[in-house]
Amino acid sequence: MEFVIQIVMTGLTMGSMYALAAVGLSLIYGTLGMFNMAHGLFMTFGGYMAYSAATTFGIPLVLGIVVAMVAGAAIGMVTHLVIVRFMLGTPDFGTNVLVATAGLGIVIEDLLLKTYGGYPYPQPLTVDGFTRVAGVTLTYQAMIIFVVALVLIVGVAWLLKFTRFGRAIRATAMNREAAMLMGVKADTVYLQVMALAGMLAGVAGLMISTQATLSPQMGGDLLLKAFVICVVAGLGNVWGAGLCAFVLALLEAAIGFYVGVRFGFPAMLLLVIVVLIWRPQGLFGRERVVRL
Amino acid sequence: MTGFDTLTRHLMIGLVVIVAFAVLPVFIAQRYWLGEVVVFFIWAMVAMNWNLLMGHAGVFSLAQMLFFAVGAYGTAMVVTFTGLSVWAAIPIAAASSMVLALVVGLACLRLTGAYVALLTYAIAEMIHVLIITDTDCFTLIRNNCQQLFGGATGFSRFDDFGFRLLLKRDWMLGNYYTVLVAFGVTITAVVVIIHGRLGLAFRAIRDNVGYASSRGIDRKKYQVAAFAISALLTGLAGGVYAGHFRFAGPSLFEFSTLMFILAIVVVGGLGSTWGPLVGTGIMMIVVEVSKEMGDSRNLVLGLALVVFVVLLPKGLAQLTTGLPGLKGRRLLFARKTDHANTT
Repeated sequence: MEFVIQIVMTGLTMGSMYALAAVGLSLIYGTLGMFNMAHGLFMTFGGYMAYSAATTFGIPLVLGIVVAMVAGAAIGMVTHLVIVRFMLGTPDFGTNVLVATAGLGIVIEDLLLKTYGGYPYPQPLTVDGFTRVAGVTLTYQAMIIFVVALVLIVGVAWLLKFTRFGRAIRATAMNREAAMLMGVKADTVYLQVMALAGMLAGVAGLMISTQATLSPQMGGDLLLKAFVICVVAGLGNVWGAGLCAFVLALLEAAIGFYVGVRFGFPAMLLLVIVVLIWRPQGLFGRERVVRL
Repeated sequence: MTGFDTLTRHLMIGLVVIVAFAVLPVFIAQRYWLGEVVVFFIWAMVAMNWNLLMGHAGVFSLAQMLFFAVGAYGTAMVVTFTGLSVWAAIPIAAASSMVLALVVGLACLRLTGAYVALLTYAIAEMIHVLIITDTDCFTLIRNNCQQLFGGATGFSRFDDFGFRLLLKRDWMLGNYYTVLVAFGVTITAVVVIIHGRLGLAFRAIRDNVGYASSRGIDRKKYQVAAFAISALLTGLAGGVYAGHFRFAGPSLFEFSTLMFILAIVVVGGLGSTWGPLVGTGIMMIVVEVSKEMGDSRNLVLGLALVVFVVLLPKGLAQLTTGLPGLKGRRLLFARKTDHANTT
């Protein structure tokens, strides 16, 4: 029984971080129709900026989260203004933008490597201490991660569902031309979406670096996991992505515990392969009739 | 150039390229430079095949280095575990690569565009992770633990082509001409496919699936064929890589290696015939120069990818085919249909 609780705790902590990453990725796909291969580096960037701010000014965790959010949003906006804006609507946008963002990812990773070095740092923005619930150790850090992720995701859900700003995003995602005819500025919406997704990614990066260490490569695995989650949920399905993040993290923790840690990630990849082959629209996606 | 059809003309260009490389050792004798040209051959083979699959057949696969790795690993494993010579191991490895490609190709058929990229990348990454986390010893080689798939270190120091004994000091020349033969076979095959009926079918499917199908071109059949052919030749490249370097390891699966080849194809020009060859030359020189300027290899690779995709999406080949960007600009206004295709 204790094992089960432990697995659930690990799953919820990892799931919170995956959800932050996957919701942003899904939001970008749903609105702009692009796979953001630089999303992993948005996370890494957020983690490093929070680290820099913490070591320079000695700020508390709350301010660190704000720094990570601002850094993530900034890099998301820069990506849109420097690269994506020029590619929207060009032939083969879907594949070309994948190559361009992958290239951007390599550039950011290399710049971080040059600035901070390849040696992994511990993240100073952590909270020590733990409490014991029903014989299971529960660190305060894990609780903070869960609460922060929950607040942010509920916040984004509220933004999308109940504000004018969110309605513009949803309208653009549904039908760009119709939204533009109704006076929605599509270019501004795209910029806002990139900023919002970058913000979530920045926080995800900070949270992950508190669980492991900071390294320029840390975003790679996360990006893949976020992709897996988005595909399993159905690409562009923001709510599904949030839910799937927790389910898949629980699954990964369970497989890691019962079968072996080395099989946790491959099992997720196998799942995405199976889903892509048998149900390409994802578990929550509706079947789309494609006209040839 | 009148009097020749396109295929003959390109075959003649290919012949000139092969002959030029065949006489090159007369002018360059240093082992280092010959080694660099061998590397050029290998990457050019991979890039030409990727261009065939991605640029002509329109299958955006990210499993290219997986097929290369299957060729290299297959060769290394056959040589290490069975004691057969490299010469026998390479065809076996290339054939295994093709078999794997048939399976991956059939799985990818239900998907299009960027989904194929995700699926192929997930497959390659899963195999990568399973290989590097494997710690169970399969046998002992020279009293060292040897995992079935090489584990985190891979295979090294197995028997190579055997020219060290045969040609003594000139062993590099033996390797050079062996790889040149593989290179020659590859470019001839790729040119014949691109400019033959098969290539025409590939481009018809790439440009308009519906129209191609209505004219009796089966998308499934041709895209699986593209996968299999490209993987067979990429596996061959992987095999000669293993035979030349006496190495096959997880570094082949690394993202930066994949991005290096992708940069070659994108810079050279997707959908061209000779673009990948030009791209390989340029990217190798650029990477070599950037290494001397404080190891900025990845920075240069990333920038090259971004700049070319944004400004010259058809690569350097676009510069040679008349007015660049004219077709693209006209399509800019056709945003609606394009957006519908990508989502």
